[in-house]
Amino acid sequence: MAFDPSLLRPLFPILSQPAYEHPLTYLDNAATTQKPLAVLDAIQNYYRTGNANVHRGAHFLSDRATNQFEHARHTLAHFLQAPEQSHIIWTKGATEAINMVAYGLEHVLAKGDEILITSLEHHANLVPWQQLAFRTGARLRVLPLTSSGEWEAEFAHYFSDRTRIFAATQISNAIGTTTPMQTMLDLAKQQGAFTLVDGAQAVAHYPVNVSELDCDFYVFSGHKMYGPTGIGVLYGKQHALEVLIPYQTGGEMVRHVSHQATEFNVLPYRLEAGTPNIEGVIGLAAACDFLSAQDRSALLAWEQSLAHHVYTRLHKEGGIELHSPENSTTLVSLSVPNVHLLDLNAYLDSQGVAVRAGSHCAHPLMAQLGVSGTLRASFACYNTLKEADRFCDVLIDAIDLLNDE
Amino acid sequence: MTNAPSLDIEHQLQACRSKEETFKTLVVLSKTLPRLSDDEKIEDNKVKGCESAVWLIIEDINDVRHIRADSDAKLMRGVLVALLSLVADKSFADIQQMDLKRELAELNLSSYLTSSRTNGVLAILAQIQRP
Ligand SMILES: Cc1ncc(COP(=O)(O)O)c(C=O)c1O
Repeated sequence: MAFDPSLLRPLFPILSQPAYEHPLTYLDNAATTQKPLAVLDAIQNYYRTGNANVHRGAHFLSDRATNQFEHARHTLAHFLQAPEQSHIIWTKGATEAINMVAYGLEHVLAKGDEILITSLEHHANLVPWQQLAFRTGARLRVLPLTSSGEWEAEFAHYFSDRTRIFAATQISNAIGTTTPMQTMLDLAKQQGAFTLVDGAQAVAHYPVNVSELDCDFYVFSGHKMYGPTGIGVLYGKQHALEVLIPYQTGGEMVRHVSHQATEFNVLPYRLEAGTPNIEGVIGLAAACDFLSAQDRSALLAWEQSLAHHVYTRLHKEGGIELHSPENSTTLVSLSVPNVHLLDLNAYLDSQGVAVRAGSHCAHPLMAQLGVSGTLRASFACYNTLKEADRFCDVLIDAIDLLNDE
Repeated sequence: MTNAPSLDIEHQLQACRSKEETFKTLVVLSKTLPRLSDDEKIEDNKVKGCESAVWLIIEDINDVRHIRADSDAKLMRGVLVALLSLVADKSFADIQQMDLKRELAELNLSSYLTSSRTNGVLAILAQIQRP
């Protein structure tokens, strides 16, 4: 393997500490990734040398902060291959971005219109649409995808001339399925629907090209792609962003205000009320720079090889139900009959192995799989083969210790 | 109640020097918990706030609070054994006076006392100390 993750380890000092008396084995990357020094330094430097409010004062520091802030927008536009930097809207994260769209599009929906999602969605890309349907009398429909991301040809009828909004994840956070995004987007666009892609689980692994995807909206969180928490992005096409009614109003997003009326500002500011998360924006741009400086295809191949290695080992082991598709690129999700997930999780934790046990904010998907939850090991570029093996070894020990019924 | 005398349970847990030892001890202790029947594992007896299912049945008889409990997770059953041994043969008034959080922490069980959703031990304590 050409790629050597040990070269990246020094950039992530958090990983070199022990957990209890064991080496920390961090395999909860789908929840949040660790942050490279470059991101930590960018945030520190901002506060040490550039802190001021943006777009307001006319002084040395405010110019510096505003330049850095708007340069970050440029970095993100480039990162996503978006045509204009004004198509990048800062949000708190994927959840806020989806809510902005769900509130902003309320006025285009009529009773009987349809909102289409898939059966693999995180609650963040489900509940806002369900609530929007409740408010407008629209109907929420769910495209049933299998855990390997397939559907039967007849399911094309889920895309109807009533479909006004189609929203789907690129990769399932719970089981790692890659969805047939381009096919789904084509079907949705044929019906004239607004399209939203939830890239929360994709951006850390796959280079994204929103122009090629040709979706109306693309959302993700910074913290799952080596950036800080509390910052995320709503990308939108010009006309799609213009259709959105701002769901928050206040300072920054206005051009002129009187007691009688308000004239809203142009994009992107129209959708960014209040003082933004400046340190988050700067940290996120540093995370993009970090990723862009890597050989992305080598990183992806490495992450795939780790997931595949774990999948294959556990498949051979027997007695373990694997819920991820064999070609999951980013994570392995499993359960063990007669052994409680929290017990497995507790033993892994006692050995310094960090994973996630639970329903992964995807209750309907868990119901589809017929389980109450899964144990998920999710990978990032800094994970080593030794860590993947340690997860398998400790998991097998845990099953031995716990499975006596 | 449990087969092992209370002091023994406390000693076993206090002697644990790592998370791993505590884990293994809880697994052993879990086997001593008398299980509830399926009729008793009903919604009404379920403790809200635990990610693993926990059922509690509390009866005050002749000034002694009798508590029986069960869980679908093994470690939680181990924690329940420890907890029930702390409050065994005591009246409600006595139990109400106890600092159960501290006593469990002294048994190396403090990581089960976080307020995070994963551990509903605090919800169990609240129920045991309620009239
Ligand atoms: C697929 C997917 N969508 C949306 C979200 C929500 O992200 P956040 O909580 O950062 O807003 C997550 C987070 O787990 C996710 O995995």
